[in-house]
This record gives sequence, C-alpha cells and structure tokens, in this order.
Amino acid sequence: MIALSVAALLAVFLLYTSIAGGGTASLQPSQLGGHFGNQVQLAGRVVGPVQREARTLRFGLRDVKGTAIVRVTYTGSVSDQFRPGRDVYLRGRLMHGVFVGEKDSLVTKCPSKYVAKPSSGGA
Amino acid sequence: MPELGRSALVVALGLAVYATFAGALAARRRKRRLAVSAQNALLAAFAATAVAAAVLVAALVRRDLSFVYVAQHISRELPLRYAITAFWGGQEGSLLLWLLVLTGLGAAAVAFGRRAGPDVIAWTVPVLGGVATFFALLVVAIESPFATQAAPPEGAGMTPSLQNPYMIAHPPMLYLGYVGLAIPWAFAMGALLARRADERWIVATRRWTLLAWAFLGVGQLLGAKWAYEEVGWGGYYAWDPVENAALMPWLAATAYLHSVMIQEKRGMLRVWNVVLVTLAFGLSLFGTFLTRSGVVNSIHAFAQGPIGVWFVGFIALVVAFSLYLLFTRLPLLRSRTRLESLVSREATFLYNNLLLVAFCLTILWGVLFPILSEAVRGETRTIGPGYYSFFLKSFGLPLLLLMGIGPLIAWRRASVKALGRTFLWPLAAAVAAGVVLLALGAGSSPLGLSAYTFCAFVLGSIALEFARGTRARRALGASSWRGAFAQLVAHNRRRYGGYVVHAAVVLLVIGVVGSSLFQTVREQSLRPGETMTAGDYTLVYRKLERRQAANAEQERAVLGVSRGGRDLGTIRSGKNLYPVEQQASNEVAIRSDPLTGEDLFVIADQIDTDGTVYFKVFVKPLVNLVWVAGLVFVLGALVAMWPDPREARRLATRAARPPAHARA
Repeated sequence: MIALSVAALLAVFLLYTSIAGGGTASLQPSQLGGHFGNQVQLAGRVVGPVQREARTLRFGLRDVKGTAIVRVTYTGSVSDQFRPGRDVYLRGRLMHGVFVGEKDSLVTKCPSKYVAKPSSGGA
Repeated sequence: MPELGRSALVVALGLAVYATFAGALAARRRKRRLAVSAQNALLAAFAATAVAAAVLVAALVRRDLSFVYVAQHISRELPLRYAITAFWGGQEGSLLLWLLVLTGLGAAAVAFGRRAGPDVIAWTVPVLGGVATFFALLVVAIESPFATQAAPPEGAGMTPSLQNPYMIAHPPMLYLGYVGLAIPWAFAMGALLARRADERWIVATRRWTLLAWAFLGVGQLLGAKWAYEEVGWGGYYAWDPVENAALMPWLAATAYLHSVMIQEKRGMLRVWNVVLVTLAFGLSLFGTFLTRSGVVNSIHAFAQGPIGVWFVGFIALVVAFSLYLLFTRLPLLRSRTRLESLVSREATFLYNNLLLVAFCLTILWGVLFPILSEAVRGETRTIGPGYYSFFLKSFGLPLLLLMGIGPLIAWRRASVKALGRTFLWPLAAAVAAGVVLLALGAGSSPLGLSAYTFCAFVLGSIALEFARGTRARRALGASSWRGAFAQLVAHNRRRYGGYVVHAAVVLLVIGVVGSSLFQTVREQSLRPGETMTAGDYTLVYRKLERRQAANAEQERAVLGVSRGGRDLGTIRSGKNLYPVEQQASNEVAIRSDPLTGEDLFVIADQIDTDGTVYFKVFVKPLVNLVWVAGLVFVLGALVAMWPDPREARRLATRAARPPAHARA
C-alpha cells in the first residue's frame, strides 16, 4: 500500500512537471520558426565558415538530415571536438534571425569509441 | 581467419539455441541427462565465443586491416594496449564481448549454483540460452565483427581522448556489470518456471549480483575519473543519457541487494524482488539500447545501426515474459509474514527501496522525456541537469539518513526508548559536525551543511556498529581487540562489507558536495606575466611553451602557483593538436592536495596566437574523496563477496529444511 501510494504520487508529480510544460523544446534549425524569443535547445551539424572573435563564435548550424541552416552566435567554452561537420547542441533563443546561444551551453557530441560507420553518414 | 571467427559464432548460436530448447524440454519433462547436455551446451557456447573473440583480438594485434572492424577502429601506429581495447571499441566488438561475458558468467553461475536446486538450474539454463541466442543472432546476422575488405593502407585510428588508461578498464567493467545482471534475473525466472519461490535462487546468485553491481559501480567511477582528467570541462558527471544508462540499473540493483535481505530474513517482499531483478536487467538492456539507438541527444555520438529495433523487441519480450511468470506465480510468491511495525529494520529497508526505485524511475523519466513529450505534445522537449539535481537532493538526502538509521534499528519492532539509546552517539556526532562546520563557514550552503551533518550521523552509526560488534566478540572470548574485530568481520562478511560500502557512499557524498556546492570558479584572460586569483590560490601566467611530441603538437601555458604567500611550484595547462587525426584535446592541469583532498583545476580554454590565454580555474574542495570512495567501495564489495565456509554450511543446512517463516 505504501509503495503504491508513493508511486502514484510520484507519477502524478512527474506527469504534471513534464506534460504541463516542463523541459526545454529540442529543435533542429528547420523547426525554429514559431519559437522566436523562446528558450530552446537547438541541435544540428556545424557548417563553416566558423568565425572566432575573442570568446565569441559565429557559425552555421543545419539539420542533421536536411538542408535548413540557421546562423549561430555563441560565447563561452568550446569543446576541442568542435569543428564543421560535428553534431552539436546548445541552448539559446532565436533573435532577429540569428540563434544566440547561452554562455557555456554548447555541447559537441563526443566521437565516442562507438563511432558511426561511414555509410551511416556520421561525422 | 575471418572464416574461423564467423564459423565459431555460428556454432555459438547453434549451441545457444540448443541450450534454450533442449534445456526447456529437459526441465519440463524432468530429463536429467538432457538437462546436463543443455548445461554443457552453454559452456560450449562460451568456448566457441572465446574462439571468435581470440580471432578478433589476433586481427587487432596484427593490425589486419582486411577486417573492416579493425580498419574502422585502429591505425597501424596505435599502441598495442589501445589496439586491443578496440575489441570493445565498436558496436560489433562490444556485442561480441556481451556474448562472451554472458555465456562465460552464465556457464559458471549454473555450474556453481547448485544451491538453487536442480529443478531451478534446469529452468535457468534455457533462460540464459535465450538471452545468449539473441546476442549470438546479432553478431552472426546483423552486426558481424568479421566482415572483410581489401586492406586499406591505413586504418581510421582511435580518437585521442579515448587513448587513456581509464578507457581501457571503463567499458569492459560496465559490460561485466550490465551482463552480470542477467544472472540473477535468469535464476529468478528459472525459480518461477520451476514453481520454486523460496530463497534458494537468491542465495545461489548473491555473489553474482554483488559482482555485477560492484563492476557497474566501479565502471561508472572510472568513467567519471576519465571525464574529469581527459575531457576537461571541470566536472565528472553531467546527467547525460548515456551516463544515466549505467546509473539506473545500478540503483535498481542496489535496491535489490537490500530487499533480498528482507526476503532471506523474514520471507517478505518476494514479488518486489522479482520486480526489482527484472527492472535491473531490463534497464541494463535499455542502457545498451540507448547507447546504440540515438533516440535521445547525448554528448556521446554512438553508431545508429539497425540493432535499436531488435533491442526494443527483446526488451519487450523480457518484460512480457517476466510479468507473465510473475502474475501466473503470484500465489506462490505471497509473503507469509507481514510488516509488524513502521519503525523496524525491515521498514527502513522498505523506505530505502522506495527511494532508490523512485530515483531510478525519475531518471528514466528524464531520459525518456524527449520521446514521451514528442508523442504527447508533438514536440521534442529535453530536461536539463536541474531536474536531476532536484531529485538527487529530494531522494538522496533521505537515503543518506536511512543509511545511518537502518543498522541501528531492531528487526520486527523498535521501541522509542531503545531508539533514543542507540541513536545517542551518532546524533552527537552529527550535531558536533554541524557546529564545527558552521564555525568553519559551511553555512553558506544549507544543503551542503545538511548533507555533511547526515554524513557524520551515518559514519557515527557505522563506527558504533563496529564498536558494539567488536566488544561483543571480545566478551565472547576473543584474545585481543584486533582479533575480535577480525572475527567480527570474518563471521558476517556481507553485513560488515555492506557497512564499508556505506562508508564509501559517505565519502562519495562528501566529495561530490564539496566539489560542487563549495567550489570556486574563476575565468580570466591573461597575457604572459599577468596574475589571477581563485580561492586562496594566486596564479601567475609565466609563458607559453610549444613542443613537438611523437604524434602531437603540444601547447602549454606555464603557471606559477602560490597560496598564502607560499610557493607551490608550477603547473602546465594547454592543448595537444593531433595533425593526423585533425583533432585537439584539452590537457588540463590538476594540482591535488593530498592532505585536504582539494584540487586546483586549470583549463587553458582558449589559446590565441599572440600568447594570450583564456583560463578557467576551479578550486574543488574534497573532490579526491570521490576517487578514494571508489577504493573503499571495492574493499567493501570484496569483503561482502569473499567466500565464507561457515556461511556456506549455514545455508546448506537452511536449504535442507523449509524456511522458518514457512514453518511458523
């Protein structure tokens, strides 16, 4: 009985926090329309040129399986793995057609030991 | 050579299929010789898989690039030790390792698991055979490590950051943990199929479960240490889905290891234990699926092969099979005893289980959240570290407290008067620690202060348990205090090994809290000759060194470090640039203080051509206790696992008669 009660309470809480608006939208560049100014997580593949000015990076991000591209401005830590062709994700907002990343939110997917096969188009 | 590998895997598949069907037939019709034959088939499947594994290792050692797998994962110049670790460096090899460990552990557990009873063993063999069939099918038909090609002049090589000693041990340890959880699950299913719901299957698999759980725990800590030193972002755990994939089955297995004690002592929680062992094994399969399916965003870019669908199907089959057996055997699993009081040791174990499972499920919810939100709202949404941290605090602090309360409370029922007496010293330790920490300024983080006060309470309770036990042994005639202590541990290894593991968890908490809630972070751009401070440390950026190493160009910022006017020497932080791999890696500087456990952690985040460096500096108090906790954890797990002839005799006697609660 105790276990069931706790489990039920937990389930209700989790459903509430999640379905009722928890979390951050995770989008690809082609899905950014309609999210102007909202905080989202943007995932995609880096396309060059990558411009660096002091701690600020400017680069393009396109859908991993698509052609839509958005320009990104980002300030903060950058993984050594970051470069054109790598899959990344970062938090931020779309402002005046440019995606402005939050400081230190850029994550470059680690080319783990389980690297994608060339045929699957992995980086 | 590749033909030998392929043939060996086909033989292993055939033997696994035979172990499944012949084993089921033998168990159903009680044909002893056929059951032995199925058991031998499992052992032979291990031998065949070992042959295939040897072929792959030989190809890696010889750098035989005509193997597609070898060419994709190593280069000719890669040091031998890393060439061998490429065995589990790719999808096909890691699946082969799964099969090798599964058949090996399975055959050994069946051979040494006689305590479970012949009928349970007879049914366990086909269950293990079924799991082995799935993995053998994957490496034979879907992801073969023995595909060949015309040998290219050079292989793809291995990512530099993975050429690290921690990464030699981290993946296989996780595999041993994941696969090891198949053993208690298979025995549980075997017991249900044999309609034997007593505790024998638990006793027979206790050490295997501990082994899998210990490997899973150590594997995660090694991964954290690698991330801390090699990835170099200043942390060691990021609540990434792939990291969570290993944490979830470990939490479920931790709950299971506690709840089986209630079943052994009181005959309670039988249904719950079957649910937990299924959850632990199901989550280990889910973890393997998660790392290979690409269904959620992860910092780890794993291959997105066709096996994700196979894993989903297999997980569904495992869950459906377990639930079917659970529901059809419910009358057998009903407990004959009930919880007598909410203030008793079994009640604290129950609370511990609820918190562990709740935490495990909240993590699972967070991992699945992007998929579920997509299904419900039509939009993928992700959950950040804040979600996990909230639940870590909400469930972790009560769990910590229970770790101190549990050992002090009596079984069945505890009186308030007795509680007051037993809690006196641990409570005094907690209050004293709180006062001292407040005086030292730890009040800046109420959460950290609470955690440390709870830690003191738990350590007090562990010390009290050891002291009481040693005193009792001395009173029983031990010749010396040291002898009494040794006797105490030797006579109840699981209990006192468990306390050592609890102490390891306390050290882990102290390290995590210190290095996260009380850390100092400073960022600053410096030119040579300029200075910055972080905490009590003063850093002077002296110069930038450039050096050509064998396979990399090294850039190092040389920093002079002092604290309180005392010179502490120099440290070097920078980057390695690998021209062949076209990659760079952060080479952080870590200065550890062995007396305080504190680290000064320096990242040269950005190095400009004019020698200006953007430094990110962390001062991480007590962080080294996280790694010390790993050593203490291993010690505790070894004590708990160590064979005890007295215990074996006790269990054999108990197995020969019905359990006490059944006779009552």
